[in-house]
Amino acid sequence: MTRRGARGPAVGLRGRPLRWLGADELGIWATEWEGDPALTREDAFAHHDLVFVLCEDGPCLPVRFGTWLADDAAARRSIDAAQERFATALDRVGDRQEVAVTLLWRDAASPEGRGHAVAPSGTAYLERRRAAHAVTDERRKTAEALAVRLEKELAAEQADVRHETCPSDEVALSMSLLARRGEAGALKARATAAVAELADVRGVVSGPWPPYSFTEELGGSPVGS
Amino acid sequence: MTGPLAALPDEELTLLDLADRLLNRGVVLAGEATISVAGVDLIFLGLNVVLTAAERLAQKEKAR
Repeated sequence: MTRRGARGPAVGLRGRPLRWLGADELGIWATEWEGDPALTREDAFAHHDLVFVLCEDGPCLPVRFGTWLADDAAARRSIDAAQERFATALDRVGDRQEVAVTLLWRDAASPEGRGHAVAPSGTAYLERRRAAHAVTDERRKTAEALAVRLEKELAAEQADVRHETCPSDEVALSMSLLARRGEAGALKARATAAVAELADVRGVVSGPWPPYSFTEELGGSPVGS
Repeated sequence: MTGPLAALPDEELTLLDLADRLLNRGVVLAGEATISVAGVDLIFLGLNVVLTAAERLAQKEKAR
């Protein structure tokens, strides 16, 4: 999604025409699609390439991949429904980019199975469950502390960070940081150095990418609903 | 003990992170429909379970 006047490639997914469908000042870039809309993994990464190019040209809000609208009118209606909110989000994100930090536990054994054989009795089962919850709580606290430490070390503004702790047994932290264009590379380098210092986790720093994680600051419900 | 993610190189993890963002984040438009994505929906988003990665690892194990 961009403002009117933004430039974009002429060709979308699978070589099909790419068009800007505008409603007043805002619009979305969409690949014309007829027939079977089944998409593939390759289409997803091709979509990323397109969004990346669009975001290089100016403020841009990525729309979730796989979004399908029946026709031009439906596209315009969906933008009209939340024009002001989209504009606010676009202004806030500007032309900034996202850097991703993922921390994996070095010991990712499921807390449920950690050090326990099959429970021989109800009491043992309850004890096992209690121990698993204790491990989970401990991990969550550790992950929260890691998030705070990284935010501090990277001098990130609160509004420019999104993070989720312990989204799975293996992942301690999934963090997204917003950086000004031209500064994202430096932020990535600092993040890479910071995660290398962490003992209990393996860190992977990725990006810079379009600001995928910063389009819903107005709440968890879909923008435009 | 480690899970399937731990065995992946950084480049693969970066692709999973990106796929997670492509499918789970971004603007959700009113009145839209989300169509299925063959091959990508095997990746359980949020990095909870990575079936494609696990399958690949299983294939490597078989080949040994």
